[in-house]
Amino acid sequence: MGLVKKLPIYAESFPGGGIVATSVERILHYGQACSMWYMLFGTACCAIELMCTGASRYDFDRLGMIFRATPRQADLIITAGTITKKMAPRLRKVYDQMAEPRYVIAMGGCTIKGGPFYYDSYAVEKGVDHILPVDVYIPGCPPRPESLLEGCLTLAEKIKKQKLSDWQEK
Amino acid sequence: MTKEELTAYVGGHFDGKLKLLDTGRYDPMFEIQPGDLLDVARALRDDSRLQFDYLCSMGGVDTGEHLEVVYSIASSKTKSRLDFKFSLPYDKAEIDSIQEVWPGINWYEREAWELYGINVRNHGNLKRFLLPDDWDQGHPMLKNWDAPDFIRMPER
Repeated sequence: MGLVKKLPIYAESFPGGGIVATSVERILHYGQACSMWYMLFGTACCAIELMCTGASRYDFDRLGMIFRATPRQADLIITAGTITKKMAPRLRKVYDQMAEPRYVIAMGGCTIKGGPFYYDSYAVEKGVDHILPVDVYIPGCPPRPESLLEGCLTLAEKIKKQKLSDWQEK
Repeated sequence: MTKEELTAYVGGHFDGKLKLLDTGRYDPMFEIQPGDLLDVARALRDDSRLQFDYLCSMGGVDTGEHLEVVYSIASSKTKSRLDFKFSLPYDKAEIDSIQEVWPGINWYEREAWELYGINVRNHGNLKRFLLPDDWDQGHPMLKNWDAPDFIRMPER
């Protein structure tokens, strides 16, 4: 992102450069929001709903969302399913391999606060936000595909509202 | 062999080491003494009428008063199933490995050791199995187990 980060700083020093900077910002984030490639990471029953959303009836592709089997090509990780304490460091490892800017959707009750495993469980991490910075939470057990689509559209809106200066802070 | 024939045969042979329990379950459940485990397992496998050649599962139980170990076995020849179990005190939770009878029990014994703290003699590979690699909080399936982030279900 080296050049893109510096672009608004250089552009704004010219007369009328502010228009260029904001236009670049809008185009970039529009492109980003329309091609959120998500990491295949399903650990429990939410993954079935994720697959269903990716299949032809709900059709993730029309949002420009394509699953990627490697974190290096993914912009987004949808934590679909229960994250156990044993899985937590592995999930963090996957997230760390994703290129910035990267986003996280916590899908389902388990990843929000442990879900049905909140009580009497020694094995389940109570909230994926202990491990990753979450952008959008989708409640449900598991959420229906419509909820997941709504969550993804919410994330797309969030991405479109970003500023280039947000990237520089990271 | 019907269930009645099976229970009568198992209860009447093997020097009375297997005592039938009235559990109301479909599969007959027998109780044995912990010291007889290896003998009983060998006898059940080698008996020409029973031929229990398959181990379905094995697991620990914490009843709150003592530990129990339950074995489920089946026969691919006679199509019959049978369970047997025995009790262990908390302070002497130790069993013999029966890998020489049913080698598939290896992982079940590791699981029982890890989750219930039941020590397995002559196992050969008792090491961390299902819990996280850096786990140091004891045996979580015991009833009196507790941890800082462990939240009990409130009484209703």
